Amino acid sequence: MPLLRLFLIFVKIGAILLGGGYVIFPIMSNEFVEKRQLIKQDELVDYFALSQSLPGIIAANMTMFIGYKLKGKLGAIAAMLGVIFVPFWTILILAAVLNALVSNSCVQGGLWGVGIAVIALIMLTVREVWQKSKRGIFFYIIFLGALISLLIFKLTPVQTILIFSVIGILVKSIRRQA
Amino acid sequence: MIIFAYLFIEFFKIGVFSFGGGYATIPFLYQISETYGWYSFRELSQMTAVASITPGPVGINVATYAGLKTAGILGAMVATVSEMLPSLFLVIIVSKLLRKFSDNFYVKAMIETLKPISCALLTSVAVGLLKPELGNIKSMILLGVLLILSWKTKKTPLFYILISAIVGVILALFI
Repeated sequence: MPLLRLFLIFVKIGAILLGGGYVIFPIMSNEFVEKRQLIKQDELVDYFALSQSLPGIIAANMTMFIGYKLKGKLGAIAAMLGVIFVPFWTILILAAVLNALVSNSCVQGGLWGVGIAVIALIMLTVREVWQKSKRGIFFYIIFLGALISLLIFKLTPVQTILIFSVIGILVKSIRRQA
Repeated sequence: MIIFAYLFIEFFKIGVFSFGGGYATIPFLYQISETYGWYSFRELSQMTAVASITPGPVGINVATYAGLKTAGILGAMVATVSEMLPSLFLVIIVSKLLRKFSDNFYVKAMIETLKPISCALLTSVAVGLLKPELGNIKSMILLGVLLILSWKTKKTPLFYILISAIVGVILALFI
């Protein structure tokens, strides 16, 4: 597949990717497994699982796994640039118009509503990660420790991650030895 | 010029450390706002709202928007690309070592540790976002309804966003 084709397919995917993590799998499956038969369903499931367990944006990871699989490093880059193409220009245009619209009370009302939805979505993200984790004493202690560092000691996210991942890996290593 | 270097470093960090998808990047964006003052908290919640209703991954969209607010179109490009760059490296490495990688003890330990940390990061952001809304009855009722709706069945984020936007517009029109 030529790089330009790959880029264009991902431009299309970026344009219809509305709603985040939930829709990425069905969209990719439809495009690459069913329609084009370039990737096997099993492989896609692997990529999806890995994309969720790696750091970074899940949709971005997934995009790059597929791009890399189809066309190597350049494929990954083409896929990445493709998937952000439409969103990028949409944000730019919307940002320009939004400033003019924000004084409108309907727009303000709508943004207020979306703001509340975002709080709910963040809480749901916590629930999802929570449910997908093995929760033993280890999980609860790291969770509480990190939360206290953030809320009470006001550590930054990166400081918190560095401190607690070192603690976590040490604890896991000691446990493995024991 | 220096602002682009800072943008690059900050958004690259998000790409390395965020875990749990689009909304997991929000804690880092609050931190950036506090440290550099490139945008206010209020602007950030507006950006998140816009990023949620436009196509594309939320985490990337909000990076584009934040970069744009900070340093114009070039800033938007720098923020967007630098947030995705760590994924590019990771994906290439992991694709090569697929099985070996996910079976490695330290990788597994790191991932198992990142989960509770990620929950804590998101909880702290939820607390921060909730605080100013606590006195607002409308906000609390809407939030309660959304959480009840999510209780039994999983719906796409778009569903919650659309419902809430419609409720917001209706309230603005009639009340």
